[in-house]
Amino acid sequence: MNHLPVECPRCAFAEISLLATSPVPGVWDVVQCGRCLYTWRTIEPARRTQRDAYPDTFKLTEADIENAIEVPAVPPLLK
Amino acid sequence: MAYDDLRSFLDTLEKEGQLLRITDEVLPEPDLAAAANATGRIGENAPALHFDNVKGFTDARIAMNVHGSWANHALALGLPKNTPVKEQVEEFARRWDAFPVAPERREDAPWRENTQEGEDVDVFSVLPLFRLNDGDGGFYLDKAAVVSRDPDDPDDFGKQNVGTYRIQVIGTNRLAFQPVPMHDVAQHLRKAEEKGEDLPIAITLGNDPVMAIVAGMPMAYDQSEYEMAGALRGAPAPIATAPLTGFDVPWGSEVVIEGVIESRKRQIEGPFGEFTGHYSGGRRMPVIRVDRVSYRTNPVFESLYLGMPWTECDYLVGPNTCVPLLKQLRAEFPEVQAVNAMYTHGLMVIISTAKRYGGFAKAVGMRAMTTPHGLGYVAQVILVDEDVDPFNLPQVMWAMSAKVNPKDDVVVIPNLSVLELAPAAQPAGISSKMIIDATTPVAPDIRGNFSTPAKDLPETAEWAARLQRLIAARG
Repeated sequence: MNHLPVECPRCAFAEISLLATSPVPGVWDVVQCGRCLYTWRTIEPARRTQRDAYPDTFKLTEADIENAIEVPAVPPLLK
Repeated sequence: MAYDDLRSFLDTLEKEGQLLRITDEVLPEPDLAAAANATGRIGENAPALHFDNVKGFTDARIAMNVHGSWANHALALGLPKNTPVKEQVEEFARRWDAFPVAPERREDAPWRENTQEGEDVDVFSVLPLFRLNDGDGGFYLDKAAVVSRDPDDPDDFGKQNVGTYRIQVIGTNRLAFQPVPMHDVAQHLRKAEEKGEDLPIAITLGNDPVMAIVAGMPMAYDQSEYEMAGALRGAPAPIATAPLTGFDVPWGSEVVIEGVIESRKRQIEGPFGEFTGHYSGGRRMPVIRVDRVSYRTNPVFESLYLGMPWTECDYLVGPNTCVPLLKQLRAEFPEVQAVNAMYTHGLMVIISTAKRYGGFAKAVGMRAMTTPHGLGYVAQVILVDEDVDPFNLPQVMWAMSAKVNPKDDVVVIPNLSVLELAPAAQPAGISSKMIIDATTPVAPDIRGNFSTPAKDLPETAEWAARLQRLIAARG
């Protein structure tokens, strides 16, 4: 297919990259947001692929991503 | 009988009527996850599912719900498929006593048939990856046996860990990885990151059914999962040497992925619909660079649906969570009769125990919270008398309703540790914990009016076994 979506349904970032294409040519692509790493297959339902249908509860902002807690926390370096 | 790989177990499931082959074309999403989700809603003896006609794929083979019923769990242990749950747990505990059973090293692992290395690595070309729940951040490997070694003691076979952790695919050769701080691999990672070193790792997919059980089992840090697999199988576990890391990995795996957890790096991961029945994430988690993939020709991709319980995850980790707690409690409190830790990885545990003296049951409850697994999980404990079957929930509810005086029998302890995924934790990783003592008070704890209990007739146990045999013989 290779017509990349224009924005991430989850965080609205505009840089989307291609991760995989269907072994049967032209059926689907797997694409990924360059910021929040959300990954989706282009033939998934709209609630997973379209910004306006994506549930608000799962949407992320740039601040959400930057401020997310670390699990596990990076330990101090031994001296 | 012991199964050396996933395929031979799938053959047995099929012969026993416990494998459903779905040959009509299905969508990768949402059909695969929805079908596996549905197995948890159609009764306790649902079959495993096998898909080989998935839209857009040419040769995908996907197995789900392999452990997702009591019948399948029994067959995984080589027991008759109609074995009652309590008997499965008791047999599991009996076989534990054979631990450790040394593994058997073999050099002809079938996953040596195909290899991708370096820049040629592309996990999408090997695995038919797909999404489980609507809000998941991506596609996950969620039923792997992940192998890592203690960086300070890499030659200690017991400290080599085999565990199951959630793994998000975030690139053709990159994965995001969740080591909960209570888990062994998190200790390995901490030691490596304190030195600024990457942590080598091997991720094995599509394993024999006992390997999946021990990888999800809360064992002691220096106990070998392979030696436990041998005890549970009744035969040495077959292992092989992974070519890049040199780690010991299951001989029978469908796919072996090797690489490193990149030191001191965190990247956004999740959310993921977890075993708690809630999403967790997104959080900044460690990342893995994949350097080598080895795989059987036409590999079977085994995945597991999890979400609102009960799902396959609950059958897979239910009995294997009960038994370590049972063994650890009995070591100091032989009065403990049985432990049911089958609800949400043991966030809630039901323990039946005899009482040494007044207040004893509450002490057993507190000990459950301080076992290695309890530190991260056991948030609620219900204590019942020795004649109450903790797996029989109506009996447990009877004990709760008849024996609990809330003022004296409910104890809440604030600010104890729990895993971050627990939805009720506040802040994440901290929770109050509760003991409900539903046992009959004994001296010097003299309370209530319990002097005339109605007991089962003396002949009832014999009749229960007789009726079970008659029902099983009927088929």
